[in-house]
Amino acid sequence: MTWFRHGGIPAFILRRVLLGILVLALVSVLVFVATQALGDPAKALLGRDATPERLAALRQELNLDVSPFEQYLNWAGGLLQGSLGDSLTSQKPVAELLSGRLINSGVLVLCAALVAIPLSIAVGSWAALRREKLVDTISSNLMLVFASLPDFVVAVLLVIFFSTTVFHVLPAISPVPPGQLPWNNPAILVLPTLTLVMTVVPYIARNMRVSMIEVLESDFVEMARLKGLSERIVLVRHALPNAIGPAFQSIALSLAYLAGGIVVVEYAFNYPGIGGALQDAVANHDVPVVQALAMLIAAVYVVVNLMADVATILVTPRLRTRL
Amino acid sequence: MTKEDGILAPEGSDSRRLWAAASFTRRQLLLGAGGLGAAAALAACSPGGTSTSPTGGASGTPKRGGNFRVGVIGGGSKDIFDGQNFVVFPDAPRLMTAFETLLTRDENFRLSNDGLAESVVADTPTQYTIKLRQGVQFHNGKTMTADDVIYSLQRIGGDKTLRGHTATATWDITGITKTDDYTVRLPLKTADSTVPDTLAAYYFGIVPVDYKAFSGDPSTQIGTGPYKLKSFTPGQESVHERNPNYWREGQPYFDTVTITDFSDATAQVNALLAGQIDAATDLPAAQVSAVQASGKQVLESQTGWWVGLSMATTMAPFDDNRVREAFRLIVDRQSMLDQVASGKGQIGNDVYGRYDAAYFAKLPQRQRDIEKAKSLLKDAGKENLTVDLYTADLTDGMVSMATVFARQAKDAGVTVNVKTLPSDKFYSDEYYLKVPFSSVYWAGRPYLDQVKLSGLSNSLYPETQWAKSDKGPEFEKLYNQALETTDEAQRTEVQHKMQQLEYDNGGYIIPYFPSKFDGHTPTLQGLTQAKTTLGLNNYGYGFRTIWLA
Repeated sequence: MTWFRHGGIPAFILRRVLLGILVLALVSVLVFVATQALGDPAKALLGRDATPERLAALRQELNLDVSPFEQYLNWAGGLLQGSLGDSLTSQKPVAELLSGRLINSGVLVLCAALVAIPLSIAVGSWAALRREKLVDTISSNLMLVFASLPDFVVAVLLVIFFSTTVFHVLPAISPVPPGQLPWNNPAILVLPTLTLVMTVVPYIARNMRVSMIEVLESDFVEMARLKGLSERIVLVRHALPNAIGPAFQSIALSLAYLAGGIVVVEYAFNYPGIGGALQDAVANHDVPVVQALAMLIAAVYVVVNLMADVATILVTPRLRTRL
Repeated sequence: MTKEDGILAPEGSDSRRLWAAASFTRRQLLLGAGGLGAAAALAACSPGGTSTSPTGGASGTPKRGGNFRVGVIGGGSKDIFDGQNFVVFPDAPRLMTAFETLLTRDENFRLSNDGLAESVVADTPTQYTIKLRQGVQFHNGKTMTADDVIYSLQRIGGDKTLRGHTATATWDITGITKTDDYTVRLPLKTADSTVPDTLAAYYFGIVPVDYKAFSGDPSTQIGTGPYKLKSFTPGQESVHERNPNYWREGQPYFDTVTITDFSDATAQVNALLAGQIDAATDLPAAQVSAVQASGKQVLESQTGWWVGLSMATTMAPFDDNRVREAFRLIVDRQSMLDQVASGKGQIGNDVYGRYDAAYFAKLPQRQRDIEKAKSLLKDAGKENLTVDLYTADLTDGMVSMATVFARQAKDAGVTVNVKTLPSDKFYSDEYYLKVPFSSVYWAGRPYLDQVKLSGLSNSLYPETQWAKSDKGPEFEKLYNQALETTDEAQRTEVQHKMQQLEYDNGGYIIPYFPSKFDGHTPTLQGLTQAKTTLGLNNYGYGFRTIWLA
């Protein structure tokens, strides 16, 4: 028990993992309750052919004839065994339906993250170094503009500029033919990635700038400079590691946002990912698919936040020693 | 929850429901984009084209080859592939690649013997004889015979979930027999002169004996159509390859056809402009100019498709015909067409079946007459009337028509509160067929076919409750008379009487028949200004009359 509380980083990670599992368990209850509000799936499936006998038969087939509590236990039990159930509209296992789309969405988020994270750290640090100079003013204002544009507006503007009206250099939509992988045709990934990048970079970069400014003004950076270290060493060795800790939190939030915000971008580019599946499932009252995707997005939030906390601890010695 | 409709499955808009709020802004933005596009096109002196006159292509020499990529709005995980059924919008073009009907409709919406039957003849009002075309092969090489046709008709008659099922109610399904390998006898339980119309509906595809709907294996989808199914992923795309044994000489022209689902009209138009698809069907009227400005062509067709308002003739205040007439006189049809559909369409006269040969075009055109409307309302004791009008964003112009009507009604002292519902709410038990005043839309179809769906006491969608009104019995008697009349001229006369009744007393307000628009690359040839039901000349009658130059 003592180890659990004061066991250093491993114990800290274990505590956070257990907490994450607890959060997901609570989320599963919320998701279940929320999807009940979509209405009676049996009725939605049968539509105007819903005679009482057919409704009863279908409810039994879908295990809807037991109490909500039992339904929850059935569903949650299935989740624990890795079974997501069958889609109501296509009658196929949810996992089979979503696997291809998960890869597509994952690739898109990964591309966006790989571009957005280094870019925003660089832009934020650079702006901090040139604080209140022309570069900083321009980049800060530009960031503010991008941050205030909704992602679908960014998408439309990018398409007008690169695909349909001004230039004709990039595809306007991003279809992934069934059975193929998104990177078979990398050009289709450019505009969706760029849209996501432009929506998250301002947020991370502005946080990075603030925390960098704080660090640059601190005594130890002053000390390093007085010691006569080159500006490069001061920045890379001393300032950056200390400034990046707080930025991890905003990166984590951005990544989590990407997992959900991707819905709009996929829609705008007709990209076959989980966003389209979620939209479709909600419209069709396809409860198992909605539940699976909601749980998945929640899990991404939890995992990403966990990773950010661990990373923050690792790069911040004063937090590390407190554990 | 879903209204059956010859061409349209409301699910298409259903899946867009989630995006209603966002897409409004998006649409606005795209209007802006259109302006930008227009400016850029002008600057580049690019000749934006419209093919409202028949495209020169129809006269060119067809060219073989190529992959034709068409983007269709709607669809999702509910997509199906069945020679005799559809659920969502993209199901229709898919079905037409592989399956054909006994009769067809030509570009003027007239029945034609151009299909799998050489003739369909009424021996008596209660018996039809179908003579089949010989030498037609299914995709697997088997010759189409009477057995396949009997199986096909019985499959629809025996399966309630198929869209065509209700049309077979008058048929003696079990009594269908073959007289020889190429002749089928179809007996009826009661007279039904609409059998040829029914057999020309695209979801009455002829399938081979023991046919089953798609459930994962494309090779099971065996029809007589111009293309064989190569792959199909619901919610995404399908690929169809040329049927080398197709029975029509020289057709089809494409090597492959790729049909892609789009959930968003903006993405669909963008794909067309960027050259990722060759054609985008069913463009919103607001996007037509943007498409033209960028050098693509737009096909404008009149199809008999209509958007309107439905007044329930049995519910107050519309149970008084004076109120119904007043409401019909309130409408400024031209102004509504201009505001809602950019002026593209034909003025309507509150009677449907626009391109049916029996359409009663001689009925006097109803004009706006506010004074008369006011006095009718006064006579009915309904001055300063307030009504709720229920609508939903189910098709282009539906909500805006309701709001324009509300504005026009003010001139007659009538207050109309427009209530916009999500599409599934609109079709829920709570609202659909329960509210006195609502928006409606229907595909272009033969007059009697529409009557069957919405004008009779056993109709599935009795929107105006017309059959229960005081003119209902008289109307239904005329309908039965029309079914018993196989002589074309006499039948037309009966149908004119029916339309006169609806014109004078009915519950529909049909302000106009909007044009339908398809965008396509200038290299797509073979299109004409047809009055067909579905976009892009019924998808090139199954993608066989169009080609890429």
